[in-house]
Amino acid sequence: MSALRADAAVALQIARKDALSELRGRQIAGSTLFFATLVLLLFGFALGPDPRRLADAAPGLLWLAIVFGSLLIVARLHQLETEDGALEELARYPIERHAIYLGKLLAGLAAVIVLGGVLLPVVAVLYAIPVVAAWPALAATLLLGAIGLAAVGTFYAGVTVRMQAREVMLPLLMLPVVAPLLLAAVKATTAALGGNPLGDLAAWLQLLVVFDAVMIAAGAATYGHLLEE
Amino acid sequence: MGTRALGIVALIAVAAASANALFVVPPDAVQGDAQRIMYVHVPSAWLAYLSFGVTALAGIGYLWKRDLRLDGIAVAGAEVGVMFTAFAIWGGMMWGRPVWGVFWQWEDPRLTTTALLLALYLGYLLFRRLTDDPHRRAARAAVVGIVAAVDIPIVHFSVEWWRGLHQGPTFGSPDKLLHPTAPGLFVLALVSMVVAFTIAWTWLMIRRYQLARIEWQIEEHGRLGRLSAARRAGRASAPPPADGAPERA
Amino acid sequence: MHDLGFIIAGYGVILGGVTLYAALLLRRLAAARRASLQVRRDAEPPGPLAPDREA
Repeated sequence: MSALRADAAVALQIARKDALSELRGRQIAGSTLFFATLVLLLFGFALGPDPRRLADAAPGLLWLAIVFGSLLIVARLHQLETEDGALEELARYPIERHAIYLGKLLAGLAAVIVLGGVLLPVVAVLYAIPVVAAWPALAATLLLGAIGLAAVGTFYAGVTVRMQAREVMLPLLMLPVVAPLLLAAVKATTAALGGNPLGDLAAWLQLLVVFDAVMIAAGAATYGHLLEE
Repeated sequence: MGTRALGIVALIAVAAASANALFVVPPDAVQGDAQRIMYVHVPSAWLAYLSFGVTALAGIGYLWKRDLRLDGIAVAGAEVGVMFTAFAIWGGMMWGRPVWGVFWQWEDPRLTTTALLLALYLGYLLFRRLTDDPHRRAARAAVVGIVAAVDIPIVHFSVEWWRGLHQGPTFGSPDKLLHPTAPGLFVLALVSMVVAFTIAWTWLMIRRYQLARIEWQIEEHGRLGRLSAARRAGRASAPPPADGAPERA
Repeated sequence: MHDLGFIIAGYGVILGGVTLYAALLLRRLAAARRASLQVRRDAEPPGPLAPDREA
C-alpha cells in the first residue's frame, strides 16, 4: 500500500512541476487556446453560414478542435523534458516508470480540461447551441474525453519525443487510435445537448470509460520500455 | 527448400480455389455474382487481422526476450498485414458498390475498423523507418504495435454501437456470408479460399522474415564497419564517435 | 455475369497484388543476399599496404 502511495506522490509531483512550468511559460496554454479557437473559426467559414448545419455539426467540431489542441499540448509537455535532457534524468531515479507516465498524464489532463472548458462557451456562441442546461452531462463527457486524450497523447508523445519527424509522427500515430474516443465523445455531447432523446448517453459514456481504462493501462505498462534507452 | 515447395503449393491452391469461386460455384440468390467477391474479401480480412495479431504478439515477445528475430516476425506481420488490409478494404468496396449501391458505408463495422487498421499499421511501418538502432527500433515498434492492437476491439465495438443506433434502413453486412444456413457449396468455396490464402500468407511471412534477418545483419556489419574504420582513423588523429549516436533525420 | 467489372476489379487487384508483392519480395531477398555478401567482403580488414577506407 505504501508503494502505491509513493507512486501517487511521485506522479503528483511531476504533474505539479509540469503544470507550473506551463503556467509560468504560458507557452502551451496561450498558443493552444489560440490555435483551437482558430480551428473553430475556420470550421465556421468552411461549413457556414447556415446556423442549423453548424448547430448539427457543433459537437463534432468542438471535439475535433479539442483533439487537435491536445496534440499540441502533449507534444509541448514532452518537449519541456528533452530540452534539458530532463527525461533521462528522471529515468535514472529509482521511481516507477508508470509514475512518470501518470504524472505527465495528469499535467496533460489538466491542460486539456482547461482547453475544453474554454472552447465550450466559444462553440456555444459561434454555433448557437445551448450548453447551460446540459452542463453536468457535458462536463462528464469532457472529463472522460480529456482523460482518454491525455492517456493516449502522453504515450505517443513519449514514443516520438526524440525523433526528427515527431511533428508529423505524433498526429499520425495518435489520431487513428483516438477515433473511437472522438466518436463516443461526439455522440455523448450530441445526446446531452438534445436532452438524450435516444437514451444512449450512458452507453457512450461507458465506452469512454472503457477506452480510458484500457489506454491508461496500456500506456502505463509500456511507457517504461520507452525510457530504457 | 521446404519454403519453395510451400510457395508452389500456395500458388496452385490459390489458383484452384479462385477458379472454383469464379466459375464453378453458382451465384447467390440475392446478391448475384457480386457475392463472389466475398471469396477474396473474407480471406484478406482474416489474414489482415491474423498478421497484426502476430505483430502484436511478436512485439510483446521481443520486449520480454529482447531477441531481434521476434522483431523480424513483427515487421513481417506488419508489412504483409498492411497489404491484406488494403485488399480487404478494396474487396469490401467492390462488394459494397453492387450490393449496397455505395462504395463506402460508415456504419459497417468491418469496413470502418479495417480502414483504421490500415492507418494504424501504416503509421507503425513509417515509424519503424525513423529509427536506426535495431534494438531501439524493435522496442519502440513493439510498444506502438501493442497499443494499436489494443485499440482495434474498441474501434470495432464503437462502430457497431454507432450502427445500432442509426435509425435508417439496414444494409447487408459481409457477415451474411457466414450464416449457418448458407448452402454447402458456398461454405466450401469460402473455406478453400481461406485455406489457400493462409498457405500463401505463411510463405509470404517466411520470406519477409528472411529478408528482415538479412537486413539487420547488413546493418550490423555496416555499423561494425563504421566503428572499425573510425577506430583506424582514431589511431591517427581524433577520438572515435561515441556509440549510440543520435538518430538520423 | 452481372457486375463483371467489380468482380474483375476485386479479383484482379487482390490476386494480382499478392502475386506482385511476392515477386517484389523475392527480388528484395535476392538483392539483400547480394548486399550481405558484399558487406561481408568489405568488412574484412585491409591488407598491410591498402589505404584506410572511408566507411
